[in-house]
Amino acid sequence: MRRPGKHWWLHLFLLMVAVPTLMPFVFVLNNSFRTSSEMLHGYFGVPRAARAALSCAWRALRGSPGPSFVITDAKQTLALSHTHALRYHLRLLLRNYRDAWTSVRPYLRNTLWVVCAVATGVLILGTATAFVLSRFPFPGRTVVFYYFLSTMMFPGVLTLVPSFLLIKRLGLLNSYSALIVPMVAGGQVFAIFVFKSFFDGLSQDLFDAAKIDGAGLFSLYWHLLLPLSRPVIAVVLIINILGTWNNFLWPFIVNTDPRYHIVASGLYVMSASESASNPGMLFAAYVITSIPLLLLFACATRAFMQGMTSGAFKA
Amino acid sequence: MTSLSGLIPSWPRLRHIGACYAVLCAPVALLALFVYLPVIWAFSKSLYDFEIGGEVRFVGLANYIEFFTQDPTTYVAIRNVLIFTTAAVLIRLSVPLVVAKLIISLPNERWRHFYRVLFLLPVVVSGVAVLLIWTSLIYSQNGLLNELLRALGLQRFCRTWLGDPATAMGAVIFIGFPWVGGFEVLIYYAGLAAIPETVNEAARLEGCTGVRKFLLIDIPMVMSQLKLMLVLTIIAGIQSFQNLLIVTRGGPGYATYVPGLQMYYNAFSYQRFGYACAIGVLLFFLIFGLTILNMKYFKSSEELQAST
Amino acid sequence: MNLVRVIRHSCVGLALLVGGWALLPPNGSASPHSGTSPRRNARLTLRVMPGPFYAPGITPGGVGTPNRAFADVCAAYEQLHPDVAIAIEPSLGAVREYLVTQLSAGKAPDIVMVNVEDVWADVHKGWYVPLDEYLEQPNPYCKPGQPGSLKWWDQFKYQAISRAKTAPDGKMYCITYDMVETGIFYNKAIFRQLGLAIPRTWDEFETIMSTLRAAGYTPIQMLATLYVDWAVDLFLDQLYYDILPGIDLHQDPVREVYLQGYLDYDEICFLFDRGFFTRHDPRYRELWQLIRRFRQFANKDIVSEDMLRAFITQRAAMLWSASPLCYRLAADPDIGFDWGVFYLPRFTTNTSPFASDVDMCVIGGAGVQYEVTSSAYADTGNPATSPRLAQVIDFLRFLTAPENYEKIVNEHPLMIPNIIGVPVLPLMQPFAEILQRRYTTTKWCYTFDLQFLDIISRTLPLYLDDHITLEELLSWQERNLAAARHRFARRKHIDFAPLQRRWDELAGVRATMQGLPSPPPP
Repeated sequence: MRRPGKHWWLHLFLLMVAVPTLMPFVFVLNNSFRTSSEMLHGYFGVPRAARAALSCAWRALRGSPGPSFVITDAKQTLALSHTHALRYHLRLLLRNYRDAWTSVRPYLRNTLWVVCAVATGVLILGTATAFVLSRFPFPGRTVVFYYFLSTMMFPGVLTLVPSFLLIKRLGLLNSYSALIVPMVAGGQVFAIFVFKSFFDGLSQDLFDAAKIDGAGLFSLYWHLLLPLSRPVIAVVLIINILGTWNNFLWPFIVNTDPRYHIVASGLYVMSASESASNPGMLFAAYVITSIPLLLLFACATRAFMQGMTSGAFKA
Repeated sequence: MTSLSGLIPSWPRLRHIGACYAVLCAPVALLALFVYLPVIWAFSKSLYDFEIGGEVRFVGLANYIEFFTQDPTTYVAIRNVLIFTTAAVLIRLSVPLVVAKLIISLPNERWRHFYRVLFLLPVVVSGVAVLLIWTSLIYSQNGLLNELLRALGLQRFCRTWLGDPATAMGAVIFIGFPWVGGFEVLIYYAGLAAIPETVNEAARLEGCTGVRKFLLIDIPMVMSQLKLMLVLTIIAGIQSFQNLLIVTRGGPGYATYVPGLQMYYNAFSYQRFGYACAIGVLLFFLIFGLTILNMKYFKSSEELQAST
Repeated sequence: MNLVRVIRHSCVGLALLVGGWALLPPNGSASPHSGTSPRRNARLTLRVMPGPFYAPGITPGGVGTPNRAFADVCAAYEQLHPDVAIAIEPSLGAVREYLVTQLSAGKAPDIVMVNVEDVWADVHKGWYVPLDEYLEQPNPYCKPGQPGSLKWWDQFKYQAISRAKTAPDGKMYCITYDMVETGIFYNKAIFRQLGLAIPRTWDEFETIMSTLRAAGYTPIQMLATLYVDWAVDLFLDQLYYDILPGIDLHQDPVREVYLQGYLDYDEICFLFDRGFFTRHDPRYRELWQLIRRFRQFANKDIVSEDMLRAFITQRAAMLWSASPLCYRLAADPDIGFDWGVFYLPRFTTNTSPFASDVDMCVIGGAGVQYEVTSSAYADTGNPATSPRLAQVIDFLRFLTAPENYEKIVNEHPLMIPNIIGVPVLPLMQPFAEILQRRYTTTKWCYTFDLQFLDIISRTLPLYLDDHITLEELLSWQERNLAAARHRFARRKHIDFAPLQRRWDELAGVRATMQGLPSPPPP
């Protein structure tokens, strides 16, 4: 039996680490509701619109008499009913989000496209290749395996510039293909290894039994292998999605046309452009662009954690 | 007859082999085009001097010679990347391991799960956003750091942290403090969780607990994780420059300039693609050499166990 | 457990819903960055990047009404040529990266607005169309008898500055659409209050700045880029002008007429080998020290501070900027003071023993410059036979027809007209006078490639803010110039023999000159 007091110290230490880790994100969330002038006047503070909205809501609930006074941007004072005032303040509160949404929406759309396409490509190529490599002896299997393995040797810094020249030569600059095709090509290797080691561990009896039942190559793959490997697929998917989502440099280099920016490159361009004059809007953009991964995280926490543990081998 | 039929594959087998090749042709072709061809180009084009659309001139090893003898930014960049990589190694091999140890010391699985999830949560925020948050919210003129200093009455220490050559490098290293929001904690946690219960039991019986156990038992037992992190951190440290591109663009002056940035600017700003390829090739050899050294001289825990 | 499942599933559902919503195309409106949408039935769509000063919808300086004249003129052109549509393209922040990728991919607009010096590095790649031939032909949109009706060239008012934009290969790659010039904006109220007058010499200027500083004002608002670009050119001209007869080696028959004594990259390479622009060149040392001295009068943060704010709030008495700022100041209803513009005064021998004691030269000159890119003849791949290129040139000529030109350039007082017969707006008058001066000796930081510029831009601010010493700065600049010289000798096949001959001829002239660099150690 351990003494309970000791664990309080552990918690204290862990919280001391956790608070500064998460604090910037709390500030971002808070400041995403504040206007730039509010931020100029004080670093800390509850969003003004939120306070006003709360007080309106409170008064509306209590049914206090008299109108709520609202001061508009043009310094006019309006007398509104409590509910109207509440609505007004809520609109102010969400103004940064509305502005951010209009600029971030195309980036999100592009990102979702690219992420889906890359994940699908990697999944199909990865499972099929690993299946063949793992289960079927054919001449040249080792050669092919080493052909895949040796790509791990080349760091991104070696191939970055020539890959750009290649994409340029192929006439793919400023297109979705410039993102999707190379990312599938690079991403499949890791998927092949993960799938192959998983498939290697499966019992041959299963396959033999299915073959006796008359299952063809495709049928084995589709009806036996894929259902068996659902957990591994989830892990590979998560790693791949995270990788694509956070890839900044490649989209930044090959797609200078703002139409093709994804979230990572788009956020950088936004921060460097005129819209940087309203930091609240940028913060709102950071929050909005975090939501998809947050949802994914909530849906698949376990796969996420497994993925991060094995994902390190990719880097 | 029998020997011949053994040599010539039967029709179904041929078909089967054909199917295998058919499946393999797409991934093999993709890798040939998008990995092997760029690798070959990286080496071959590093011997040329050319701009996009411009005259292509064979210059032999002139690009390499220029890197070492003429380019005034080379040695600053190399010095900086060594400092950055060392700092990253020190940080990533220590803090997350300690935190993982703290987490695993909790007796309650629910709490352990809670903290692992908590420290993983920041990965949902785009990496670019994190860097921009640090530059704008923490290091800027009216950022957290300066506000705190002002609140403490230490106005004279206020500065643009990333804009001052004296502090820029420290500020860049400090980004992400306390450096635990990510996958490192999980990796060390997995390593610590894999320590056989018999080892822990034996340690307890010997009276080896707390810090002593951490240093004498746990660290050797997670050596393979540490080794992995060492390799990954060195590889990433030497080649990564996108963070610096976002945060400081290598400045002020050359305070945070690294060879990766040098490559980036030579290619995409100065249009010196051959020279940029040469820098990439040199970085490749550096990474390659360090990885081999690492594999040779740092034994993983499995090897340690095997040898004792 | 069931609850967790429900939550998980609703998360998936929500994610799919939001994803689906985001994937829908934005409602109705065309993509936000195309100003006008090209007409459907047009035979040709010309893509034009008017640049930040004239782009429709942009409000210059953030005050007053947004631009619209360019769009009107484009519409008039479409009216005239029903089968042609003009698509107006946005100008982008990162011009260099943009140029490399777009031009190399052949996706650039037909007409782009870039400083032609940025273009010179790429002219040998065929990315830009030389315009000399077209400039010699008449402009059909000029009425008979008016300038331009015989030769397009005749329309341009500032001939010397416009022709000085000829690239080092002897060809002209741009239309110098208008003129811009820099000047010191000063707060007349503060000057009056302290009894200050417009300075005639650099010493007076420094005295004024000292007085202002003593009175608690920031004497002058500056940005690091201005030291790198403008200050170096002006100061270098002031220090080297009187030894130009001994060191100007290149007698270019086309350009020298307009660029008296302009030092090109090959001359600078040659001179560098002779010890000029090194630590052994006393004038070169003096140049950086004088810039450092000038910097002491400026705002504390020259790297990231908003230049304008301190001037408008009357905390700073002067501001070095260019003609477009006039409009910003004139249109701001909240400015509670009088302001004026003067040009930087000359160095005298009190300033420096190397001062040439001549008036400061012009460094601005050409403002908006339009280049025609290779996209324009993408139809036939040959400029000589391309109907598309002919149309692009025709459109450019339409843009310079006086009545159209006046609409665009004089919509707001931002630039000085470069077309004969177009009036100069009153606010632009002081700059039109500055433009009468002679042209600069070098555009130092643009002499070589972007790498050369980048190294100066990074190191000079360090020296100005005392992070590195003069010796360190000189060492950086020397290595920078040495590396640039190597690159250029290799890339541009510089033939040093004629320069050497000229150098030997001028030995007698140099013998009388003081303070030439001692030859570098072997």
